[in-house]
Amino acid sequence: MLVIPNLLSLILWLPLVGIVLIFLVPRKKEDLIKKIALLTAFVDFLFSIILLINFDYNEKGFQFVEKWLWLDYLNSYYFLGVDGISILFVPLSTLVTVLCILISWRSITDKVKEFYLALLFTNIAMVGVFLSLDLLLFYLFWEALLIPMYLIIGIWGGPRRIYSTIKFFLYTFFGSIFMLLAIIYLFLQYGTFDYTALLGKTFQPHIEKLLFLGFLIAFAIKVPMWPVHTWLPDAHTEAPTAGSVILAGILIKLGGYGMIRFLIPLFPHATLYFAKLILILSIIAIIYAGLACLWQSDLKRLIAYSSVSHMGFVTLGIFSLNPIGVKGAILQMINHGVVTGALFMCVGVIYDRTHSRAISYYGGLATTFPLYAAFFMIFTLASIGLPGTNGFIGEFLILLGTFLSNKTVAALAATGVIIGAAYMLWLYQRVFFMRPSQGVYNLQPMKWNELIALIPMIGLVFLIGFYPNPFLDFMRTSVFHLLSNLR
Amino acid sequence: MFALNFKFSVIALELLFLIAGIFFFLIDKFIRNKNYAFYLTFFIIILCFGFLLFTPFGDFARAYQRDFYSATIQLFLLIGALLVVLISYAFLQEFKALNYGEFYALFLFSLIGSFIMVASQDLLTLYLGMELMSIPVYFLIASSFVYNRNSIEGSLKYFIAGAIASALIILGLALVYYSVGLLSLKEIFVQLAQGLKKRELLLALLLILAGFSIKLSLVPFHMWAPDAYQASPLPVTAFLAGIVKFALISAFIKIMMIGFSPLRIELGTFLLPISLLTILIGSLLAIKQDNIVRMLAYSSIAHVGYASLGILSGDYLGYGFIIFYMLVYLFTTIGVFGLLIYLSRLKREYLEIPSMAGVSKSLPLVSFLVLILFFSLAGVPPTAGFMAKFYIFITLLKGNLIWVAILSLLFSVIGAYPYLRVIKVIYMDSPPYEVERGEYAVSLFAPIILSVLVVILWGIYPKPAVDFIQRTLYLYMSMLLFHF
Repeated sequence: MLVIPNLLSLILWLPLVGIVLIFLVPRKKEDLIKKIALLTAFVDFLFSIILLINFDYNEKGFQFVEKWLWLDYLNSYYFLGVDGISILFVPLSTLVTVLCILISWRSITDKVKEFYLALLFTNIAMVGVFLSLDLLLFYLFWEALLIPMYLIIGIWGGPRRIYSTIKFFLYTFFGSIFMLLAIIYLFLQYGTFDYTALLGKTFQPHIEKLLFLGFLIAFAIKVPMWPVHTWLPDAHTEAPTAGSVILAGILIKLGGYGMIRFLIPLFPHATLYFAKLILILSIIAIIYAGLACLWQSDLKRLIAYSSVSHMGFVTLGIFSLNPIGVKGAILQMINHGVVTGALFMCVGVIYDRTHSRAISYYGGLATTFPLYAAFFMIFTLASIGLPGTNGFIGEFLILLGTFLSNKTVAALAATGVIIGAAYMLWLYQRVFFMRPSQGVYNLQPMKWNELIALIPMIGLVFLIGFYPNPFLDFMRTSVFHLLSNLR
Repeated sequence: MFALNFKFSVIALELLFLIAGIFFFLIDKFIRNKNYAFYLTFFIIILCFGFLLFTPFGDFARAYQRDFYSATIQLFLLIGALLVVLISYAFLQEFKALNYGEFYALFLFSLIGSFIMVASQDLLTLYLGMELMSIPVYFLIASSFVYNRNSIEGSLKYFIAGAIASALIILGLALVYYSVGLLSLKEIFVQLAQGLKKRELLLALLLILAGFSIKLSLVPFHMWAPDAYQASPLPVTAFLAGIVKFALISAFIKIMMIGFSPLRIELGTFLLPISLLTILIGSLLAIKQDNIVRMLAYSSIAHVGYASLGILSGDYLGYGFIIFYMLVYLFTTIGVFGLLIYLSRLKREYLEIPSMAGVSKSLPLVSFLVLILFFSLAGVPPTAGFMAKFYIFITLLKGNLIWVAILSLLFSVIGAYPYLRVIKVIYMDSPPYEVERGEYAVSLFAPIILSVLVVILWGIYPKPAVDFIQRTLYLYMSMLLFHF
């Protein structure tokens, strides 16, 4: 076992080295910039694997804790730590960054330097959100993530990128101010931003509900839950491939992570009070977004709506409030990051060649581009939740958990799986089968960077699909501990 | 009553500025190379940092007092002045018709006014300091007449608004004198603390508040600001937005902290709607502006609105946070105007937002600096702008003003849009043509880089600055009754 002191800080701030180096490289040397970015991200990923190996999954508290005084008047700490809930997201974030760099290797040709700077900055902010246990620090990373995402969507995105990026920014900015208010209120009440110190504090019932809602608005917009999901299809559709992958892979997981990390343990009574409401919203998200997928004419928009539907499953699992459901929700977040991220990469691969995202443009790709069709098939099936793929494990656990707490909801949610199969398979049929259309002949074969980016995702699809136990082991103790002080 | 003492060593800074200003007026005609004025001013300001360390604490004729508060505020003003002088050098190289010693002389006179204002012990000195600060600025705004015909209009608008403000403040002073018999801040406090003359003094305070809100461009009295900002030469705008407002807010804090502190709750009921409206209107009107200076004028209205929200809290922690807020705003705004000077030197049209399209392609460094400063103005972490707003919100919630906090947070979302729009235009629109990259003048980029560094550093670790300010206020409050 390799023991590294301050491992979390190392993982968090390592991309900064890359940022500084890229700053120093003249912008003409694009290859060097890409290599530096890839190397930093990859080393960061290796460190997060070391973190994973050293993680002790029988420990219910936080591990690798680092705590230094940061702002003493505010009693705020630079306080990092991981437990079973956040541990899996750290390697996922670093992995997604590596893959994003690979997938953008050729497709980003404009402002290369800024792009990789933004990607590495995104990495810092994402990892920071998962690691920080100080509410102010958490908020800082949470908001800091907006800056690079705003730029990534706005600069390198599609035709309607500006509308989408400003919508995305204002939507999430609007959501998080309520969280900021709740955080400040907590601070004034208890004089600390320390998450572990706030655990187990009690509130007056109506205050607790208001605080819960303050956090919920921020998280619900990030997830996104049903009535506030409208920024996501635009942002996903117009973002460049890497942006979509980060959005699908990590950014919208932050909402679900926040719910598990903050809503349930800090406000247990309000959680029980609002659980029904959130279950209903999740059901609406699953069915409504699933149906919306059926009449999308744009590849990316369809996958974006499917994200809304899948994240509906995640919130469903979280607020089923039993260990199986919550574990399923965490696993499903990882799965969704892998599968939807991979689907967006696949769309990016074909978009780079044809420059069209319209479903009607394609047809018969299976005959002209068979390798690609195979990749897409695997991820389609994983997205549907076929047994043997990771999607199945996640959805099954969530439905099982929901069934244990509320049978009607589980029955309704299960229809979402059927709708999911309908839209994904129909999409696959329209794009890959039928008669080949004009534009799909003579496509360039897949490049090394695309293959390298997609193959680890396939590995994860089957690894989690066939043998999910190691992944579930990580979160078992923490989830049990999390729910033990509920009710 | 004890005898007045005239310790000239206390006012050494102001004397030095005065001598330098007069020197400029007398000698400027005879010197061909006009750049001497810049070097001399720069040298004097550097010298003044040393003076600030060595001048003794104490009072001058019981009107002017150097103490912890005034020395600290003067230090900040001096830093701001140094940055403004540095950025104005590059500006005056381009706009040669302004490059005379008088420019710097007026600048120094205005600085004397701001110094006197923040160090004044009575309301009359404060008022005189304020006039001394404002009148050179009227000239400075009008001085760009050669290049911008509207500058007379802007200057006149500011002048008339300023005159009304003076009239209101004088009315307030008259009322104070009528009811207390003295204009000293401490005396006012003594009367108020005994519960005497509350009604008269409240009316006086409201008149003073009205005067200050004209000067600070709080909302019902904000109409002069965009015109004046747009009309003036860019360094003067930076001076107006950064230093003048900082000095005014600090002086108002002083009034509220010593003199009228028993009336802070009554003042709050008036200031609350004004501040909220200021934030809302400033943010809303900034959205549609195409001229970037005009946009920044409205944004500066909104920012002062946030700062004045802090006054509602009425305790010295809150006042410290306002000073921190305005300090961050001072750095940010001087940085922004420095960048605008750079851009306007390249092409005059760059002051219109739509024509900035795609600037990032040819000017990546400048665009990146704009990006950081504008995200700071919008209040997005990890920049100092967020930290400053965060402290203000903490004081609001601490004072149980939850609805005010929610509303101002919502307005801050509206207020983020204008900055996002500029960033959008710079980074995301496609450029119509390539632009030559001008030289990066050291005198221009040193202050810009400094302000960007400050913005990032205080965004991540604001503790030293906040501690410094809070300690100053604490020391000042605890030594208030101590006679130096």
